[in-house]
Amino acid sequence: MNTGAIGSKGPEMQQRSVNKGVGWGGKTLRELWEEKERLYRKTGCYYGLRDLPLWKEDPLKLEVLASRLLAAAIAGRETTRMISASPIVREVSELAVAIYTPEGDCILQSTGIIIHIPLMGQVIEWMINENYEEEVGINEGDCFTSNDNYIAGMHPPDVYDITPIFYEGELAGWVGTVIMEADVGALAPGCMPSGATERFVEGLRFSAEKTAVNDRHLKVFERRARLGTRMPDLFLLDRKGALAANVKVRNEVGKIIQEFGVEFYMEGTRELIEMERRAQLERVRKRAVPGKFHSPTSFEIYLTRTIAPPHHARDRITLVPFDFHIKPDGRYYLDFDGAGSWGWHAANATPSALLGGACLMLTQTIAYDGKANQGTFLTLEMNTPYDTFVNPSSPNIAASMLFSWPVIGGAIWMGLQSRAFFSRGFLEEFRAPAPMGFATSGVVGYAGKNQWGMDFGFPIMEAPGCSGSGGFAIRDGILSDAIILPPSDMGNAEVWELVLPLLWMGRKFIPDACGWGKYRSGPSIMATYMVYKTDLLSLDTNPEGHCERIGCNTGMFGGYPALSGFAKVSVNANTMELIQQQQSLAHGEGYPGAGDIEENIRGDLIIPRMNSYVKAIAKHGDVIQCYMGMGAGGTGDPVKRNSALAKWDLDNGLLTIDRCRRICCIDARYGEMAEEWAIDEKKTAELRQKTRKKRLAKGIPAKEWWQKRRQDIIDGNLPPLLKEMYNDSLAKGERWPGEFRAFWQLPEDFTF
Amino acid sequence: MSGVSYPKEVIRDLIEGKLPWDQVKSMISGYKDDDRFDKYVDVLQEKVAWGERILLPLTDQLYIVQKGSERIVKCECGYEFGDYRENWKLKALIHIRDSKEELEEIYPYPNELDPEYCEIREHYCPGCGAQLEVDVVPFGYPAVFDFLPDLDAFYREWLGRPLPEEKEFKDLTYELTRRWAEERQSK
Repeated sequence: MNTGAIGSKGPEMQQRSVNKGVGWGGKTLRELWEEKERLYRKTGCYYGLRDLPLWKEDPLKLEVLASRLLAAAIAGRETTRMISASPIVREVSELAVAIYTPEGDCILQSTGIIIHIPLMGQVIEWMINENYEEEVGINEGDCFTSNDNYIAGMHPPDVYDITPIFYEGELAGWVGTVIMEADVGALAPGCMPSGATERFVEGLRFSAEKTAVNDRHLKVFERRARLGTRMPDLFLLDRKGALAANVKVRNEVGKIIQEFGVEFYMEGTRELIEMERRAQLERVRKRAVPGKFHSPTSFEIYLTRTIAPPHHARDRITLVPFDFHIKPDGRYYLDFDGAGSWGWHAANATPSALLGGACLMLTQTIAYDGKANQGTFLTLEMNTPYDTFVNPSSPNIAASMLFSWPVIGGAIWMGLQSRAFFSRGFLEEFRAPAPMGFATSGVVGYAGKNQWGMDFGFPIMEAPGCSGSGGFAIRDGILSDAIILPPSDMGNAEVWELVLPLLWMGRKFIPDACGWGKYRSGPSIMATYMVYKTDLLSLDTNPEGHCERIGCNTGMFGGYPALSGFAKVSVNANTMELIQQQQSLAHGEGYPGAGDIEENIRGDLIIPRMNSYVKAIAKHGDVIQCYMGMGAGGTGDPVKRNSALAKWDLDNGLLTIDRCRRICCIDARYGEMAEEWAIDEKKTAELRQKTRKKRLAKGIPAKEWWQKRRQDIIDGNLPPLLKEMYNDSLAKGERWPGEFRAFWQLPEDFTF
Repeated sequence: MSGVSYPKEVIRDLIEGKLPWDQVKSMISGYKDDDRFDKYVDVLQEKVAWGERILLPLTDQLYIVQKGSERIVKCECGYEFGDYRENWKLKALIHIRDSKEELEEIYPYPNELDPEYCEIREHYCPGCGAQLEVDVVPFGYPAVFDFLPDLDAFYREWLGRPLPEEKEFKDLTYELTRRWAEERQSK
């Protein structure tokens, strides 16, 4: 079959001698990879490029090469969106495409779910080092599929399809497409089940398997997908979309190579990586301040409340202290010393997942000029102690929520980086943390029978477009700023309704839920659904919610973290009766504690805890509400909030007068005639003065707090789960335990 | 060198949140200005009522300033917290938001925040009552030292003008808590 690749010399060229590799110049990929590593170790420059001869000779030509590759990646991504049937792809754009060197280093990437970009490169590296070249065969028209976090990756629903790019019979690079699947045949709801404790219940795994030859999927692969997933059409159309993207990009790269010349392409792409490495260091030196930053994150995993095997069903809280260093040479160093133990649950992290989180953070906050690539990541170092939460020693861990630290801790890291930008004066780059994507929102995974009577499993992924950002240093936070998925919106309700047995009854902001500060976090949306034409619907609430008793540390400079997501479910609801009687239904939450669901719906109201199955079956007419806020942080002392901003919030229903007075210390009166709020500046000034005085009266000297809390620690006045958490980190860490004991002035061998 | 430079008035408007969004957007999208830090500090220096030289703004209310041969953290109100290498939070007032009423004031919707597990620490300036930071951490976690800048490396290697009397880049917080523990023992 003619694969259509430019420069193809046909099948005869693919009959290589045993000794000749597929790589450039007849080298094996392993030889190329080893040479690259050796040169980097020797020089500190990518591929040993101390000089950049092509850039020096014609910088614009190199710039055009970069632009053409970027355009190819973006065109590939859009191709997928035209083929896929999944709203996760079509509506929310949870996919991305990147182009790699033969050694697996990213050259350029599209927009999209970029957390995966370096990880697809790791899969390529793995194939090289597992000697795929000889043992599996790498040929023009092949596609390799992987969703195995043991190799690299974020979690099983994120499926990578990777295609080699050949030019005149030699491998000139790779193209990879990642798509998030709604269902991979895991324990219900089909992806990210809260009860997953080991990899064996997480559905189909493809471990860098050859799934297509001559640009056609293998029948064995298609059969496996048909029998292994609840919605195989969606899964397979996504694969076809990814394959189409890869073919499109491969052909475009072929044209580019033909136009620029293969030598220029191979050398030029290496220079693009080395240039980006240098540019990243320069950006840091120009925008930040060197130093050491710190913030902890804790992860709460309550497996006794969900469905898990008895030998794994335990509750635990795991601490991940985090030091972020900006080195004087501009490198970033992430130190996870003191991270607690990994466990039989789905929320560990891996070094690969942490690198993905780093890609997300860096490409969205500092390396955002469209040229982020492997060079960006070469400026990053991490300490991920082996056999801990961030580097588990078992290959059998569940991986559904491997992005635990990347999306929650990664947000905290973003806030720490913001401190460096703020100190340097680049206020426009500052943003308070918002756990990324839907990590702490009220998103729900659904399974059971859909409105067509078919088995299904589906997580609603509208959250990235429904969640508010953290506050900025110069303005309030905004809606839909999920940096995990920057181009995302919440998607059209009508399209979601095609794949889910739900009718959207409302998408509304709810009052008083922002992270308040001088600049508040962005507002988030509550979605209200009516269960539609099914009598068998099970719910798994926020499979990623791991900040429950202990909130996320996301407020900055005196601002508060916002409320994280929550859900409400009314089963045995009388909605159909109300519709017949033309009575009010549930559409949102009008006032804290007096929501539509409580006011209008008669049924059995369940307020489910996060990260667990709802212990009830929902059916036609029942009502579900999910608040998609993620606990984003406000910036600055709320008492300094501009009264005009507070008036806007009051007028637009984001703030009630009660909390406006109590938190922002702004008084206002509603004008019935004008139908808007009017700020009472005099009362506001009095209120603010009173609040400052009140703080001075109720605040105790930190020394007093330190003495009291130290005594609590010595006496062990902590809940058992916290004592276990600290003991675990004290046993695992090398540096952090000393700092913990030194802070509280405890004996060197102190444990709880 | 980017060659980009903004008038001081633009930087002042940016700091005060008055710069129109289209201009902010241009700043984000364009090359960064080489002289930002100096103009930024100049504007801030004009805003504060005290005379010590600002070495580094830490937050919108706290600054590291040169006071004699010392480098200390100072609030915009003038309150001084001491050596910048000690966590300033240990010189501040602290309030733990630990009652149901106080939690509901901030979080009126269903939530499981539990004061036995979680400390919501509000750090106030003893001079003016400003809320300087809010930390949400596991109960018993040490005071979070958000940022210890490597000031000498910054001035020497990044700005090219070393500060006089270099200080060791070291977290001195533990020496403070050691003194507190010794004081307690001696009582």
